[in-house]
Amino acid sequence: MGQVLTSGSIDGPRPVTSESTRPDQGLEPTLGAVPVHPSAAAGQDSRVLCHMRGVGKRFSGVWACRGIDLTVLAGEVHAVIGENGAGKSTLMKLLHGVHAPEEGTIEIDGRALTFGSPRDAEAAGVAMIPQELDLFPDLSVCENLYVGRQRPRTRFGVFDWAAMRREARAVFAKLGIEIDVRAPVRSLSSASAQMVEIARALIRDARVVLMDEPTAALSQQEADRLFAIVRDLCARGVGVVYITHRLEEVFENADRVTVMRDGARVHTGPSRDLTTHSLVQMMVGRPLQKFFHRTARSPGAVALKVEGLTRRGAFEDVSFELRKGEIIGLAGLIGAGRSELAQAIFGIAAADSGTIAVDGRPVSIKNAATALGHGIAYLPEERRSQGLHLNFSSPWNIGFGNLGGLTRFGWVSPAQERRTANQYQSMFSIRGDMNKPVGGLSGGNQQKVLLSKLLFQKPDIIMLDEPTRGVDVGARAEIYRIIDELANAGKAILMISSELNEVLSMADRILVMYRGRLNGPYEGPDFSAQEIGFATAGVRVDGTEARP
Amino acid sequence: MTAISGTAIGKRAAAASSRTMLLAAFFVVEVAALGIFVPGWLTVDGLLDTSRIFIESGLLALGMTFVIITGGIDLSVASLLALVSVVIGFSHQAGLPLPVAMVLGIGTGVGCGLLNGAIVAYLGLHPLVVTLATMALFRGGAYVISNAAAYSEYPAWFTTIGGFYIGEVLPAQLPVFAVLCVLAWMILEKTPFGRRVYGLGENEQAVRFSGINVAHLKLKVYGLMGLLAALASIIETSRISTSRANMALGLELPVIAAVVLGGTKVTGGSGTIAGTLLGLLILSYLQDGLQFAGISSDWGLFITGALLVLGVLVNENAGRNRG
Ligand SMILES: Nc1ncnc2c1ncn2[C@@H]1O[C@H](COP(=O)(O)OP(=O)(O)OP(=O)(O)O)[C@@H](O)[C@H]1O
Ligand SMILES: [Mg+2]
Repeated sequence: MGQVLTSGSIDGPRPVTSESTRPDQGLEPTLGAVPVHPSAAAGQDSRVLCHMRGVGKRFSGVWACRGIDLTVLAGEVHAVIGENGAGKSTLMKLLHGVHAPEEGTIEIDGRALTFGSPRDAEAAGVAMIPQELDLFPDLSVCENLYVGRQRPRTRFGVFDWAAMRREARAVFAKLGIEIDVRAPVRSLSSASAQMVEIARALIRDARVVLMDEPTAALSQQEADRLFAIVRDLCARGVGVVYITHRLEEVFENADRVTVMRDGARVHTGPSRDLTTHSLVQMMVGRPLQKFFHRTARSPGAVALKVEGLTRRGAFEDVSFELRKGEIIGLAGLIGAGRSELAQAIFGIAAADSGTIAVDGRPVSIKNAATALGHGIAYLPEERRSQGLHLNFSSPWNIGFGNLGGLTRFGWVSPAQERRTANQYQSMFSIRGDMNKPVGGLSGGNQQKVLLSKLLFQKPDIIMLDEPTRGVDVGARAEIYRIIDELANAGKAILMISSELNEVLSMADRILVMYRGRLNGPYEGPDFSAQEIGFATAGVRVDGTEARP
Repeated sequence: MTAISGTAIGKRAAAASSRTMLLAAFFVVEVAALGIFVPGWLTVDGLLDTSRIFIESGLLALGMTFVIITGGIDLSVASLLALVSVVIGFSHQAGLPLPVAMVLGIGTGVGCGLLNGAIVAYLGLHPLVVTLATMALFRGGAYVISNAAAYSEYPAWFTTIGGFYIGEVLPAQLPVFAVLCVLAWMILEKTPFGRRVYGLGENEQAVRFSGINVAHLKLKVYGLMGLLAALASIIETSRISTSRANMALGLELPVIAAVVLGGTKVTGGSGTIAGTLLGLLILSYLQDGLQFAGISSDWGLFITGALLVLGVLVNENAGRNRG
């Protein structure tokens, strides 16, 4: 991850209002006469790179998106927003040749094209960074860049790896990222893996780059870095379409915004004409009452006490106390060791030394089964590989973590399973066909199923690792409300999040992890955003470097 | 919002059941064709009698279905069958009362199954490698214990287990096998254990993160395989009233073949008992019919192989359509 994470490259923590994040600044000269009104962009303009006319796609008879018109202009950042399951990813997949549209046409440079596969789309200059990264974990960074692409050969006819590595290094240099191109992708952090996907788009000289929730797994600093790259791409005339659930980003980075609801496009227009309020109104179809929920509570007895916990190479000498009815926010950069810490407490990969006590009694947690036995549950950060069984239905998945809770006289009770799933479906308003494999749900809805699975384990100590990753505003508010309720009911909650806003607004106390060591706790409820933002980067407010 | 139906395994179940229907149709056509082209083969007595032979591999196939659904494999089953038989025979010869010897044999089966499971679970080795080794180990053990000799001094009551007919035509082990099939189906489809077996095959990491003890789960699955191998061993020993170290040589092949032909994916996560049963019936009656017709057993092997290739192809395509 190298440079991406060092403190030197960081302008400052959120909220950033400085000019550096406004897209107009660097772009205006190259953009020239980008039409700001969508009506002017419709069709005839020479800056239209790509035009989708009335496209639609069905899954087993149900339209995931329908009748959508979308233009991508050279040098613009075009944000696509909408609730979970609104059809955003599906729309991008149509443009990237993953699915074929069942109605409508796609024009690139004014020519109508049909893509049989992503390879066709890439040949036409459309690259995509999918919602769920699809790199080959065991291949090197360099090999991944060249998958499905003509590779240079030496004059002896064998692949010229030296040339490929040179080219790969050049691309990463252009991105300003330090990365070992020979390292297997498995060894990278998710932020770096994201960068590999971006490099893959660059090396193909894509003119339209689609990004499906690229910032969902990134912390603020990493997201800023990404947007710097995006602006650079735009300056070279590339059109970038990106999906996000973080609405602030839209105002900071996008030129135009398309809002989708229930598979239809409800609005396209310049971002400067919009407010968070109007965006939410269009996405959800009604105004949002309250986003963050935090009740004043007085925490109870210590539920979890961790002392001197160490795992070499991951985290060191970690001590903290988590009380009943308390939410501790664990902030930090990706790769700081937060997930490793939670997973050590959950028994997935045990710590080398240190002690854990639950309700004042020291416990030895050898695996996740014993952790669960002590009432500790963990919401994993990688929902597809660690969380869900994608080929099985949502009820199956929700029940899987607590099969005992569905069992009557030794048999799994289908009625009980149905009741449980219905209950969580309405609690989180999960959208999509619950009887189908959970892998077919939209990303945000998969996350809701995962949260349901965790709650059904009925834990007392809850560790949430990026609980709202990929979840839309409405559902996010709902999740915050549920987390708050859980704390009110006396549960002890440790919430890992890379979204500083979320931590600042939800937590009673905040711990910050930097390179495997804890700083804090910072006492709430009035946190200094700046202090904590700096701490995640290992810098004290007075400018001195924090420990270590 | 859509309503949630039944056990709700959705598309997967639909794909599995359409495949089961296909296999059932294939089986009916096969029996009819053999009946037409091999005169004298198609009789109730004949059909029932053949079951005496396939029930032994059938018991192994039931356990193997669990093992393969978890994404594993057990190559040592046939060797274990021989080892259990030899343990029973030679401990009886050494003076142990036969019921005690049988308990010892069952203990051996379960113990050896657990050994497989323990190596797979705790040392993290691939089941293919582990059971390839124990396949040699168990067979070798059988030779050492028996000193390459056969034992056949079994009392009459013991030999009726595998040789008794109810109402003169129905082999006694057939209803036992039927009950075990139903039991296996219920365990796999309707118990928490069965769910975990499926889950383990599809995504082991997610099972671990669900707070389930993966090592114990694997121990149970391989232990169950060992128990079924011991039962199969007792039935076969009784049927041929002999214990020899070279019993059931190569039997793991048709067992695995039946499971795979039955639609269980070797990559784990899907498969059914009904499919395995049909795979077993298709292969067994085909071989029996060809043998009856006097066609050499080499052809039987060839056709088994061809069917397997076909089965694997269908499996692969079913997987692709889903994505
Ligand atoms: N491969 C698929 N098979 C079946 N249904 C699908 C498939 N992909 C998407 N869908 C359905 O299409 C609808 C739109 O999904 P899509 O992934 O486009 O939503 P999204 O707007 O990207 O949501 P999110 O913000 O949660 O990622 C959903 O109801 C989803 O269940
Ligand atoms: Mg999506």
